[in-house]
This record gives sequence, C-alpha cells and structure tokens, in this order.
Amino acid sequence: MINSVRNTVLSVINKNNYGYISPSDFNLFAKQAQLDIFEDYFYKINYQVNKENARQSGTGLSDIRKQYDEVVSTFSSTAALVNAGTNSYTLPADYYLLNVVQYNTTGSEIEKIAESKIRNLTASTLMAPTTAFPLYVHRGNAIDVYPTTIIGASDVNAFYIRHPLDPKWTYFTLADGAPVFDETAADYQDFELPMSDEPTLVAKILEYAGISIREGDVYTFGNTEEQQETVSEK
Amino acid sequence: MAYLTQYQYYANDGASPEDANWGSYQYTSLADIVNNFMLIYAGNNELVNNINRYQVLFYAKRAVQELNYDAFKEIKALELSVDDQLRFVLPSDYVNWVRVSMYSNGVIFPLTENIQLNTARAYLQDASGRILFDEAGNILQPEFSNLDWARITGQQKSIYLNENNPMFDGQEGWSYDGAWFFEYGIGARYGLNTETANANPTFRIDKKAGVINFSSGMQNRLCLLEYVTDGMEGGDASMISVNKLFEEYVYAYIKYSILSNKLGTQEYIVNRSRKEKTALWRNAKIRMSNIHPGRLLMNMRGQDKWLK
Repeated sequence: MINSVRNTVLSVINKNNYGYISPSDFNLFAKQAQLDIFEDYFYKINYQVNKENARQSGTGLSDIRKQYDEVVSTFSSTAALVNAGTNSYTLPADYYLLNVVQYNTTGSEIEKIAESKIRNLTASTLMAPTTAFPLYVHRGNAIDVYPTTIIGASDVNAFYIRHPLDPKWTYFTLADGAPVFDETAADYQDFELPMSDEPTLVAKILEYAGISIREGDVYTFGNTEEQQETVSEK
Repeated sequence: MAYLTQYQYYANDGASPEDANWGSYQYTSLADIVNNFMLIYAGNNELVNNINRYQVLFYAKRAVQELNYDAFKEIKALELSVDDQLRFVLPSDYVNWVRVSMYSNGVIFPLTENIQLNTARAYLQDASGRILFDEAGNILQPEFSNLDWARITGQQKSIYLNENNPMFDGQEGWSYDGAWFFEYGIGARYGLNTETANANPTFRIDKKAGVINFSSGMQNRLCLLEYVTDGMEGGDASMISVNKLFEEYVYAYIKYSILSNKLGTQEYIVNRSRKEKTALWRNAKIRMSNIHPGRLLMNMRGQDKWLK
C-alpha cells in the first residue's frame, strides 16, 4: 500500500515539477500519519460505544465498533515479562497500551491500580491483593505486581497493543538519480493499517507535505479530505 | 472453571485429602462470582461500567459476610476444654455465638448466658483508695479482680439454681461424681425466677477480651461452642464460597451497591436494583429455610397427643 500512497501524494502535490518530496521526507510524514490514524482508532471505538449505548448503531455489517476492534486487534501482541528484581517486571519496548496482564500460575488477570490506591488496597482486609486477585502499579517502563510474593521469572505475561512499525518506502536509485520503489529491501515496511485507511493516509501526508513545501492549497485540500472522511465514518 | 469429574469429586483425583470436593457442588467460589459479574454485569453496554475488579471483590465479600450473619444456616462448632481460669478462647473466625453447651458423660447440656457480670478489670489502690501507678505512669493492675478471683475459685454466689446458689447452703445433699444432689423440696416453690432456673454452669462472653468466661462448675470440662463466622476463611480468597441458592442475590447485591454509590445514576435505576436485591434475598431465604414435608411430618406427629 505504501507505494500506492506515495504515488497518489506525489501526483496531488506535483505542480510544474516542483512539488516533489524526497523518500526520507515521505517516510517521516508516513510515520506521523500512521500514528495519527492509529491513535484515532481508540477515540473512534469510544465514540462508537457511546453510540451503541444510545442505541444508534447496528449489528452485523453495520457494527462499526467491531470493525475498529478488528483493526486494533491486528496490533495485539503477547510477551512474557522479564523480572527486573523482586515484584517488578519490565514492559516490552514496543508496547502502546497494556490490555491484560496475567499471573500465569493461576491464570488470573492482574488488575491495573493507580499509584494513589495501592497503599489503601494493601492495607485493606477485604481487598488486599492476593494471588487469586492480583494487582499491578505501572511505574516507568515496568510494572510492580502485588502481592509481592509474585516474583517468579515466568510468572507474568502481558497481552498488549503494540506501536505500529514505522513505514518505510524503500528504493534503489537509477542512473539519473530517480528513486524506484523496491519492496524486496530488508528494511522495507508497509503501512500496517487496513486498505480502507489509504485515503486518510494520503490526506494526512498531504497536510504534512503542504506545510513542508509551504503550499497552503495542499494543506487545505488534505485537511478537508480528512475531515470529510471523519464525518462520513460517523 | 470446569465442572468436576466424578473421580475428582469422590476421590480428589487420588490426592489427599480425599474429601476435599465432597459437597462442593452446592457452592460457587468467590473467584467465580467476581469473574461472572465482570463478564456479564459490567461493561460498555451494561448498567455498570468503568468499575474496578477490586470494587466488585469488595462488594462480593461484603455480600458473603452479610449472608453468613443472617441467612446461611452454616453453624460452625468447636469443642475445647475450659481452662483453670474458666476461659474458652473464641475461635479465630468467630463473629457471633449460637449456643454454648457443656459436653459431659455423653450428654450435651445447653448452658445459659449469665445475666450478671462475671468479669471485670481492677486497679491497685492504696489504703486511702488512691489508684497506684508505676514509674512510667501506667496504672497498676492485679492479675485478677476480686470478682474474677471469686468466680475462678468457686466462691462467687450464683443466682442460678446450680451448686453455687446460696439456696442450697446448709441443706443436706449427696455428692456423686463431683456433682451435688439435693432432696426435691416438698410443696410448690413459689416465686421461682424462670430466667435463672437452670442448674447447669453459666457463661458470659467478653467480646473485647475474646473469651467466654464460665462459672466455676465448668473448670476443665468440655465446652461446645456453636457459632457463626463471616465466611472469609481466614483471608484465603480462594476458599471463600457462596451457596448457589444465593448466587443471584450476590450479583444483585453487588450491582445495587455499585449503582447506589455511583455519581449520576438515575434514582429509578437505583430503586430497581434495590427491589431486585430485596426480592432475591427473600427468595433465597425461603429456599434456605428448606421446608420439607418430611420434616413437618415429624414435628406434626405430636399434634394429637393428649396433654395430661
């Protein structure tokens, strides 16, 4: 999809042969555009949930939330967390959002707790964390699991949503210096979003490119396209 | 959690103890209740949303505690020998007592709760009645108050019809196997206080001290305590369970508790959940009362007996 997006972007901004963006610029814009759209999915899911609760959404093919869930699910990943000493476990480097953390011995979900609550909870008779109902507090790039008896090297698994991989339009250069798309390159990386997001990707990259080449029309066109896309998806 | 196989149920998969799963089908575990609630009653499209599991766990445990106090007919019993100081230390999971009995010669004698005080603290005083302190400013206390010492040594008089009742002083009687027997008084005994008309030893529970204090007749005798607990199984959440007859009530209790505490919940929704909870409570109580024709039959058999 990345080549198709790039070709579309170049053909939109091409004007008298001066609307060119280099592959490295395109890759930067592509990364930003993909991250924007990826983050939007969570807000869109929330919007759809609210619509469901207001009985304004359908089922089956018109179940929009399900479609969004499917997209986000393509980024779900699993990892055994590495014990960083006592009850602390290091999070994976590529995690974007922790979905479920599991205590493997009992199969129980380890529930996320705010730092402000954990002291009250550990002091509580009724709600103190146990191996049947464990808790964790997120601190930096690690989580601290409670009860503090959970210290095993393979005690904790994380089911999380990872960051999308950075898209990379790879190429080889012709004798005249023109770059030609090469998807066989080792560092080639396509967009990870579904095909349905191609128009939004184009619009967003056009916005960045418009700013880059100081072409207000391009920015306005990309922005309008994106807004129309958003409205039509609601 | 999957259902048990017959082998798991009857023989605990060959592990010890063999009886670990006997009768377990009557109960639903706390973990199951919390899990089911989070799955079915809480979520984006449910009345209850944005709720933490620990909150559900709290309300589930509170429901179990309330049920143990009022509805479950699950009476625990503990047999212990009363010590030289006439004490019976309350069990670690004790919440309230149902019956205290003496077990002697194969017979269970239900005991009466003493309506009078039978234990007290005391402070040391000098000859002029001033309280004595140690160097740190703490009040000096004797090991036993006079009241306690008299009770422990059997000198305390009793208003009950037992051997410490002064009514028997000066009367001839027979001592047999450690107990005194007297002639039955000729003629009616007018003015008998039926509240204290019991010849067995008496007891009184000191809740703060965590002991049952007995009258001297219980020294080194076996005591049976029937009591209720709160079902928290000493804090082991994996052991907490609820009778299935109350399962729906527990869900309703959790739902009501959450909704009634949640900001902005419409009052009609809170009321609906309250009514649901109350109705299920009544329903479960009727189920637990377990009125069987067979049981009624045994009770009703005496209805035509002539009273002479």
